[in-house]
This record gives sequence, structure tokens and C-alpha cells, in this order.
Amino acid sequence: MRNFLACTTCLLILISQIADAAPRRRKKAVKRMAPLEQVGFQMPSTITDTVKAVPAKGLYMNALDLLQGQSAGVNVSSDGINGNAVLNSVRVRGSSSILGANDPMVIIDGVISDITALSALYPSDIESFTILKNTSETAAYGSDGSAGVIQVKTRMNSGEGFRIAYEGHLAVSAPYGGLQMLSADEYRAVAADRGLYINDGGSSTNYYSALTRPSFVQNHYVALGGGSGPFGYRASVGYAQDNSVLKDKGNDNIVTKLDVNQTLLNDRINLDLGVVGSLSRNYGLNDPKKIFYSAACQNPTYDAEANFRNPNAVLIGAPLAMIAAKNDSRNMNIATHASFSYDILDCFALNAFGSYYFTSYETAFTDGGSASRSESKKDDLLCNVSLHYDKTWGDHNFSSHIRTEYHVERNSGFRTGVRSLANPLFGYDNLGAASSIPLGGTGSNYLEKKLLSFGIELDYNLMGRYKFALNARTDGSSLLGDAHKWGFFPSASFVWNVKKEDFLVDNQTVSSLNFKVGYGRSGNIGAINSYVNGNYAQPVGMVPVYGYPLLALGTTYNPNPDIGWERVSSVNAGAELGMWNSRFLFTIEYYYSRTDNMLYSYDVPVPPFTYDKMLANLGKMSNMGVDLGVAIAPVKTRDIDLVISANVSWQRNRLESLSGTWMGMELDADRISPIASVSGAGQVGGDNNVVYQIVGEPVGVFYLPHCEGLVQNEDGTWRYNIVDLDGDSSVDLGDYGDRQVAGQAIPKFTLGSSISFRWKSLYLIMQINGAFGHKIFNGTALAYSNMTSFPSYNVLRTAPGKNIADQRVSDYWLEKGDYANIEHLTLGYEFTLPKSAVQSLRISFCVKNLAQMTSYSGLTPVINSYVVNGTLGIDDKMCWPLFRTYSLGFNIRF
Amino acid sequence: MKKLIILSALLPCFVSCLSVKVGDSLPHDEIYSTPADVYRNAVAALYNNLGSNQESIGLQGTCRGIYDYNTLTTDEVIVPIRGGDWYDGGYWENLYFHTWESSDRCLYTVWTYLFSNISRCNASLDVLARSSENCGAETTNAWIAEVRALRAIFFWYAMDLFGNIPIVDEHNKWQELQSPRSQTFRFIFNELQSSLEYLPIARSNEEGLHYGKVTAPVVWFVLAKLALNAEIYSDDDCTDGIGQDGSAIMFEVEGSKLNAWETCIFYCDRLADIYGLESMISSNFSTGNEKSLENIFTIPADREAYKVEYHYQFRSIHYSHGAAYGFEAENGPSATRKAMQVFGYGTPSPDPRLWATFSFDEVKVGGEPVLTEDGSPLVYYPMEVAPNLTDSPFKTTAGARFNKYETDIHAYESGKLQDNDIVLFRFADVLLMKAEALVRNGQDGTPSMARVRERAGASPRECNLDTLLEERMLELALEGWRRQDLIRFGKYHLEYDMRPQLPSETDAHTILFPIPRKCIELNGKLKQNKGYE
Repeated sequence: MRNFLACTTCLLILISQIADAAPRRRKKAVKRMAPLEQVGFQMPSTITDTVKAVPAKGLYMNALDLLQGQSAGVNVSSDGINGNAVLNSVRVRGSSSILGANDPMVIIDGVISDITALSALYPSDIESFTILKNTSETAAYGSDGSAGVIQVKTRMNSGEGFRIAYEGHLAVSAPYGGLQMLSADEYRAVAADRGLYINDGGSSTNYYSALTRPSFVQNHYVALGGGSGPFGYRASVGYAQDNSVLKDKGNDNIVTKLDVNQTLLNDRINLDLGVVGSLSRNYGLNDPKKIFYSAACQNPTYDAEANFRNPNAVLIGAPLAMIAAKNDSRNMNIATHASFSYDILDCFALNAFGSYYFTSYETAFTDGGSASRSESKKDDLLCNVSLHYDKTWGDHNFSSHIRTEYHVERNSGFRTGVRSLANPLFGYDNLGAASSIPLGGTGSNYLEKKLLSFGIELDYNLMGRYKFALNARTDGSSLLGDAHKWGFFPSASFVWNVKKEDFLVDNQTVSSLNFKVGYGRSGNIGAINSYVNGNYAQPVGMVPVYGYPLLALGTTYNPNPDIGWERVSSVNAGAELGMWNSRFLFTIEYYYSRTDNMLYSYDVPVPPFTYDKMLANLGKMSNMGVDLGVAIAPVKTRDIDLVISANVSWQRNRLESLSGTWMGMELDADRISPIASVSGAGQVGGDNNVVYQIVGEPVGVFYLPHCEGLVQNEDGTWRYNIVDLDGDSSVDLGDYGDRQVAGQAIPKFTLGSSISFRWKSLYLIMQINGAFGHKIFNGTALAYSNMTSFPSYNVLRTAPGKNIADQRVSDYWLEKGDYANIEHLTLGYEFTLPKSAVQSLRISFCVKNLAQMTSYSGLTPVINSYVVNGTLGIDDKMCWPLFRTYSLGFNIRF
Repeated sequence: MKKLIILSALLPCFVSCLSVKVGDSLPHDEIYSTPADVYRNAVAALYNNLGSNQESIGLQGTCRGIYDYNTLTTDEVIVPIRGGDWYDGGYWENLYFHTWESSDRCLYTVWTYLFSNISRCNASLDVLARSSENCGAETTNAWIAEVRALRAIFFWYAMDLFGNIPIVDEHNKWQELQSPRSQTFRFIFNELQSSLEYLPIARSNEEGLHYGKVTAPVVWFVLAKLALNAEIYSDDDCTDGIGQDGSAIMFEVEGSKLNAWETCIFYCDRLADIYGLESMISSNFSTGNEKSLENIFTIPADREAYKVEYHYQFRSIHYSHGAAYGFEAENGPSATRKAMQVFGYGTPSPDPRLWATFSFDEVKVGGEPVLTEDGSPLVYYPMEVAPNLTDSPFKTTAGARFNKYETDIHAYESGKLQDNDIVLFRFADVLLMKAEALVRNGQDGTPSMARVRERAGASPRECNLDTLLEERMLELALEGWRRQDLIRFGKYHLEYDMRPQLPSETDAHTILFPIPRKCIELNGKLKQNKGYE
């Protein structure tokens, strides 16, 4: 820290010697705060700059819900959990890297946070999102921004007297639908029909009904603000609770926020201070896949409370007993920031910014026999200092800034687990009440990361029509080897505001027309989570040492001293057209980005390496796409407003190569490598891989044996007719056998659209999102249609009729994943109270997850179709029950 | 100029801005500072995954690893398809019928497991060479000998499975080519012999200074085994139909030149000075088997101290049988019909070892019959077992099950994390090896074989190659030797039990497993074994 201050002071001295003061007054760096809330509709102002005003008029449980469908190319996925999960995944323009370093950077009021902090933020606190997708825009944020940057601006006060507002929602989530498995009577009948013995409990149960309930959801929010002249403040408290449609599960969240702003010296000095604190608790499921598998396939002839388990069904349990296991977590975040800006001279300004972010994530688990607890903490300190210069003369405006930034992150954690609880009622509250504290059950970790960067930006604007921007940034990271510690990330862009040209400036039809082109390069090291640049020793295991068990140490990975930055270079070109006073808006943008030196855990040959994987920079990936946005306001009168907006994005991803040279050695990875597979009874190991990563294809491609219908066996049952694709007269289901590329898991097109309609004081909003061009592997139907595991495992109602006695993986159950969802439908009424202290009063009624239009035959097509991990593209027995939420909202502002 | 000076002054403080404390890992050099550290982290640490709790890892104990490739590909054990269970993409079928492919992922894991251990041994030898001054020359020499012997054992397992492997004797060196099998065989034999100079003559299976470690008797055992299999290991091309003659393969043993059989007998005799037979075979597999007089090399197991697991008991027995112990069982692997015939099941006087090896007929736990889900008593039907039981009324009950290790009722992980040490080498095998070597050398092996049969309570029997092969199954069933035995007796590639000979198998290429396809893709210099191209 001291070093950093020394460096910065030196730099500032250097700069002051070069600088040349000029008398013109320069524009303020910090925008004054916007009004508390907007009434009425507002067309998105500049879609190219991807700023979107937030409607906040429906029921949104967390901030990530607001993002969904609002901007082309931004996908919020829920990892297959069709519910208000606390942590969702966000992808901007797909994945540019294979190893999880694809989370976009989240900046909340200038404080670098992450997706967790964003999801903890209260939706009504958010004024706007700005999503930076092009590398030319994100390069200024260095490596952390290479997967996109989501800038969140929270509501601040206008400094015009005291304001207070309350917003609340009360809602009910009701489960509906579900997999149609055999009922108790049908189960008995089918078993009797086939002469199979079953354990008959004499009763009848639907495990899904036993596990789910209508749940109560509420959220409340109070915001107040005030101040006058140079001083303004805003404070808010929000509380949200969701009891979850699964019994005894749920989550709640409380967020408080305080922002204070003070200007001095006739607005030349601006001080800003803010604190956000949140606490969220989640009471979750342990092993959701096993629970839903058990709910579908357990013996339905017993009462759910009997906790009966079919003795031969080893892979499923008793659903109610399993849901009683506790898997709870608690997340606490505190983020504070302070910023100082000083207009030194008329064209110079100095900014200093510091932020501190602390997060603690605790988990606690127990299943009655064993218990465990863990806590992981992260401290994040960021400071930057920048000097700005802005000068306008005639038609020319030139501005630049030079900046240095230092970022320290400290991660630590510990965990401990015990076995043989003396009494299950202790749960996880007294880990000392256990008979066995096994070795390997306790551990802790610590990791420090530091990043230092320097950047410079130059902007030139001619006549307000032609804008050139040049940016260069260099980052050094402590995680990298000496050879590649520093990365250089330049970017350039050009915007032509055609509307300002003489031939268009007076045109009444065209209200805006912009062309934009850019290039940028950024780096990414998010995939590096430990110090692989050197040879570090860790515990290896317990070994007998002179007869006593002792812990031995050694290196457990292949060190890579050559590790460096993953580089993403991209070009983008786009245009925006507005017509008839912005009643019609159209934007289109094309981008192509290429990742090289891609970080990946490569398979390396053993021998000569000691371990079979090594994190290295080899390999290339490319992404290209087109984002399109349209917004139309066909009717706009005093009494009626209609706005229809839609954004569609098309993207194509390709894994170009996974080979390269490392320290003189030619390294290659498997051309065909499995990513995700199905598992269940009779599907342990074996040829159950479904989604692969194949060089030359998009990441996440289905590579499956081909099935040409069903073929009947001698005993009357049917099996999948799997084709011998390579003509070697044998059917080989292995990774290198009779398989072919059958589609991709990541959607080619995504759609987000909304229709807003107002008639006098009544308004109606409908939001529709969709995804197209991808496929889903219906692993649930594959397993639940297989009669060979009956009656140990229950089957779908349609299964006995189909009589399939086969569960080999093939493209028979690969279906189109295209869908369009009506995310929400909101009906509201805005009261007009002209003479009271009440500024606005609004009530609304909203239905979420209203309807789904899809040809997919499984429970829901909304599974993990974006995040590259073991669940990508597969619907494998883990879908949550479907539910709709009906809510009543009330909003009042004084 | 002034600016340049300021800039260059800034550079060092930039760099120190990025220095970090690693925290939860130690720089490599820190863990070899004292002699005690050197022993623990450079020698003892190498034993940490002889046993394991992960699939495909370990010399024995877990599934889909070396043990499965040596046992499930023989006439001893079969994993039938039981309806919706145990199909697993045809993995077990492939093992039984010898239809495995080079793309088998578990085979790749076995290869990387063995060579990863060899590489760690090489790294340790480098550390020991540097530590000679710090720890004393004599101590270091003893440790170096132990590491070389352990490394040779890993090489032996690799050569036994894959045949043509690269001899990697230096850390981080890119070894390009595989060596012919006979050359690797000699390398292993010489490494083991030269390590004997420094290894203590002490028991390794009992709790004490050498618990679980490679000592001189362990090496003698491996040398005897290598010599016994010399005909196979000296054959560079197993597909050409030309074999080797053991009486012409010579070894230098303590000054004299002996042929393969004589070498084997020599080392067996040395072992006989220290080890003997327990009065009951089951004592070797009990929860307290550290006290066995007969076990020579074991993998130490302790449910509290080590993570070593033994999966086979509970993978094999029926769900209800496991439930009777309070554990979850998986109802999988069973004895073949051939194995039951050899044990004399169903005849008036089966071999007494039948009860110590398998569970069959009515099942009792704690004196009480075990009941199945419909209330009827659980009965195993050994002779009903077949590769695919989907349509059989004995789908879940066909086949005799594993019963060699005493069930540890206090075990964790559903019966898998148990106190019984896993037995790798034991003295009964030494006696049978000696009997076989004598017979192959034209001499009489009856006394040795008789000693084994007497302990078992079986009546005396003539000692010839056919009866010896059967005796090895009777005594050593389920201990992981069957594949090696069948190959040595020339029977592995022929038809046996319910397995026909594959059309391509007439050249006997299946006695070696293919080099895993991924290895060849990643290391372009490796060549595939004959018959698998």
C-alpha cells in the first residue's frame, strides 16, 4: 500500500511537470443525481450505448431478474433451477473462455463487485444498467472486464427537499404441472400385468405434491432522501422474503444503503460517500438432483411420510427425509466507497476513488448423521487516481485522462465436517457433539491477488459529429509468471453522428442516426485460482511414517512458470437509427472476437509430466454475432401509449484450437472431450456422455450416436435402433465410435421483448423472452421411459405403452430447445392526486412465469443452456417443479 | 532526462506492489529442510495412493482400476447385467468378453496413475540426491534404495498390463520411445536386485517401523514373481506364436547363474525363513490382519487414519444382504460358473476354502437369515450366473458373492472405509510359486503344495501344472492374480467359462491391454500394441 502511494505521488509530480494549464472551464466529471422516480414511459435513449431505463413496475425478486431480456446478447440463466435461486449466471455475448472466467464484471456506483452483490441489491434501488459488450468499450476496464461489464447506477437524490417512498409486494407462488409418472394404482396394475413383485404400501402418494406447497412471497422497500444545495443524501432499506415452493426451504434478504454527496468551493470539489450492506439467508436443498429423481421414481404406493425406499433402488431415497437435510447458507456483504473529484483548473480535474468490499459466505449442512460448516471471506480493496484534461476550442473538443489503479483481493476460508452425530437434533449447531472428526474434514485456505494498472485515454470530438477515442491500458498481476506478468490492452473506436450532418440536421423524419466502429483487446486471468506459476507444496495424504499415520506434503499439480494473460481481441461495427421523433428506434451491431492464449486445463502426456492436466495458455476460440434492437411507439396520445420493443441477438461460437507450443514442447488436447453426461441407475460410467467440446465446433455441442427409430426385441419390448455410422459392422457407443455432431447446446438466437400499453391511468406490461436454435437432451425422459428398471424405479405414464427396455444414450431424446416465455404480465393503476402531499400512488397486479410456448416435451426448456459446466444442455432429472407467482404491488411516493 | 530517472526509480516499487504471500501452500524447497521432512515428504509420501478412495486409482481396493483389469477379465469373476443395473455402457461386458477398446477411459486413468507415481519417485530421487549431505550418506542410500524398489514395482504393474512402456528413469525428461518388453523386464529385475543391498530384512505388514513399506522380503516376493513369469515377460512379441523357454533365461543371483525357475525357488526359500502360514486363511483378511504371520505386503488401512477403501465386499453382495449390516450394497460382481466348478460347489465334498471365499445359497448375518424385500429368505444361486441376467428369474440373486475379507461392522462410507489392511502379497502364494517353479524345472513340487492344502483342510492331491492352476484359484481367488496366472498357463486368450474366444484373439494379442488412445494422441511417439491398431 505504501509502495502504491509512493508510485502515485511520483507519477503525479511527473504529470504536473508536463501539464499545461488552459483557462477554459471544463465539464464536471460527476453527473448530478437524477430524480427519484420516473412516471410514465420513457423510450430507451441511446440503445447503442446500451443504457436502459429500468421499468421496475413488476415483481422482481432480485436485480438479476431486471437484466433478463433487456439487452441483446445478455443472458441470465438459472442453471436449470427454475426458481428464484439466489445466485444466477449472467453471460454477455456467450463465453469467450472455456474455464469459468466468463462472469461479466459488475460495477455498482463505481465499486467493483460481482454477480453475488448485484443479486443482493434491491431492484428498486437501481436507476439504470449500462452494459458494455464490445472490447473497445471494456478494454478500459482491463482484464476483469473482458467478459463484458455491467455498470449499475443506483438511485440518488436530487437534493431538492425531503422525499420518501414506499414500495411493497405481496405474492403467492403456486406450483402447477409436473412430470406425469405412474400413479399408485397404475403402478400396481403395470406390475401385476408383467408379473413383477412390488412392495405395496396400500396407499397412494404423489411425491411432488408432498414436497411442494403454495408459498408466500413478500418484499418491502422504503427510500428517503433529502438535502439542499450542495448537500444531498439518500437512504433506503429493502427486505425480501421468499418461502419457496419446496417445503421448509426459502430465502430472505435485507439490504440497506446510504449515499451522501457534498460539493464545495462552488461545485469545484465533489465528495461522494456510500455504504451498502446486505444480509441474505438461503435455506436450500442438499443434492437437488437426487431429491427430484427420488420424487419422480420412488414407490408411489406408500404415504410420503412413511419414508419408504424400494430396497433395490440404490440411487434414490425417500424424498421427505432427504428434503429434511439442511443445506443453509448466509451471505453478508458490505461495500463502501468514497470518491473525491477536484476541478483544479478549468480544464484539469483530479479524481481519486477508493472502495472496500467485504463479503462473507457461510454454509452449514447436516443430514442427521453428519454435519459440516464452512465460511469463506473476501476482502477487496481498490483505489485509483486519475487526472483529466478537457479542452474545447471552436469545433474541436479534446479530452484525455491518465490513470493508475491498484486492486488487492484476499480470499480466505475454512471448513470442518464431522460424522456420527450423537443426536440428529443437534443439526449443525454443535459440531462437538459428534463421535468422529475425520481426517480431511477440516481445512482452511488463503489466497492473495494483486493487480496494478496504468491507463491512458484520448478522446477527440469534431463538431459533435465525429468522435475518436483511443485507449491503452497495461495491467500486471501477481498470479502470473515473470515472463508474462504485464499485459497491454489497447482499444480504438470511432462514432459518426450522422444526424448532426448538414444534410440530416433539419430532417423531420430521421431523429437520430449513428455509425460506430471499434477494435479492442483485453486480457483475462479469471481462470487462475491458485499459484500455478511456481512449485508449491500442499498436503498429499496420510501415510504410515515409522508406523504412525502422518500427513505428507508434496506438489499436487504441474507447475507452469510460463502462465500469462488470455487475450481477447474484437472488432465491432454498428448503427442506430431513430425516426419520427424517436417513435421508431432500430439498432444493429456486428461483432467478432477472438480469444487466443486461451487458459484451459490441458491434458498433458504422463510421462513426462507428473499429473495429467496443466493450466496453460494455448488454444483459440472465436465468437461472432449480431445484436438487433427495435422499439416502436405506434400510438402516443394523451390517453393512450403503446410501446413495443424487442431485441434479438444471434451468436456463433467456435472452438478454434486447443494445441500449441509450451516451453518448446508441442502440446495438444483431445480433439473430442466430454463436458456433460447423464447419470442414474444403470448409467454409472459407461458411454453416457452427451455434450462435448470438439475442436472446430461451438463449445457445448451434442455428439451422439444416431438412432433410427425403435426396433422390437423378441420378447416384445423395444430398443433404440442405433446406426453403425462408420460402417465397421459393429455399434460402438464410445467417444470415438459411432457418434456424430447433432446440434448445439447454446442458443443461436435469443429474444427479449416487451409490450407496454397505457390507457389513461391504467397500464399493462408484458415481457416475453425466448431462445432458439439450440437443442436439449431429454435425459429425464430417457431414464424414466426405460422399463428395465421398473418396478425398482417408477416410470413415466407413457412408458409402459412404449415398452422401451433400453437406456442407451442416442439422439432419439435430443429435442429442439426453442421456447418463448411470457415472463410476466403486469396490470396497474396510477392514481392522480393533484393537491395532496402524495406525489404518486400506484397499485399493480402481476403474474410471473405466465406461460411457456415450446415444442420441448420435458418439464421445462429453461435449463442451463449458457454456462459451460457439467449440466450444460442436459435436462437430467433435476428440474424444479413449475410454479407461477401472483403478486399485488403497492407504491406510494411523498 | 529527469523524467527517465523518476520512471526508472518507480520500476522496483511497481514490482514489489505485486508480491504476495501464498498462504496455504509452501514453496517447494521448504518441505525438505530437515531429515525428518525429507523422509516424510520424499519417501513416505510416495505410498500415499497405493490404496485410495477414488475410482481407478490404487493397486487394489477401488473399482475400475488395476484390480478390475486383472480380475474381471478372467474366469474368476463376472459382473452380469442385471436388468436396469450394471449395464453401464457395456463396460463390464467388455471386460468379461475381452472386447475392450483403446479408448477405454479407465485404462487411461490406470496408465496415468502408474506413471504419475513413477514420476513422483523420480522427483524424490532428485531430492534425495541433493539431501545426501544433510541426512547422512548411509541413511540417504537406504532411502534411495527404497524409492528405486517402489518405482520398480510400479514399472512392473505397468509392464504387466501394457507390455511396451517407456522406461522413464529421470524426472521431467521427455522419454520418447517405448522399450521392448524384455528390456523393461530386465530393468525392473536389476533395479530390485540392486536395492536389496540397503533394504532392511523386516516384516512390512505389521505395525512398526516398516509398516506398509517396501522391505527386503517384499522385494524377494516380486523377484520370485518376475522370475516365475520370465517366459512371458521376456517375449517381445506375444502375437508371433513363438514363446520363450524359462530354463534358458538366466539371472545373476548372489554370484551364481540360475535359470528362471531356480531364481524363483531361491527367493521363495528366503521368504520361507521369515514367514509361515496362519492356521486359518481368514486370519489374513480380518479387521486385525496386521498381526498375520502370512501377509508379506499390505496396504495399511484404518477407518480413522487413512482414506484407503475396499469396495468389493459391498459392490458384490445383494441389497438386502448389505442392509443386514446397515450398509448400502450394490449387488454386482459374482463368481463365474467355472470358479464354482473348480471349488466343487454342488459336489458332495467341495474345497473347504469355498466358505472362506464366497457367499452362496442361504444367506445368514449374525445367525439370522437375511430376508429380501418380499419377506422371503435371500438365497444366492451360483450356477445361474450369466453375462446378461435381464430376463432371468434370478436377476438379482444369481452368482456367488465376495466373502474373503471380514466385514468390518464399524466401517464408514457404507462399509468401504474399513480397518482390514488390503492384502497384496502373502506367503501361501510363495509356496505355490515354489511348487510351480519346481514342476516347470522338472522337479517335484508336492511338499509345498501339500502344505497349502493341509492348512486349508483339503485332501492331498497330485502336483502338476493343471492341478497347480486350479490350486492357485482355490487359494488365491479374488486376490488379483488370476489374469497373470491364466496368461502364464497359456489360457487367457482361449475360451473359458461362458466366454468364447474372439475371432481376432487367435494370435493372443489380448494378453496385453492396448496403450490408451489418449496417451498416443498426446504423446505422438508412442506406438500401439499389436492387434489394437
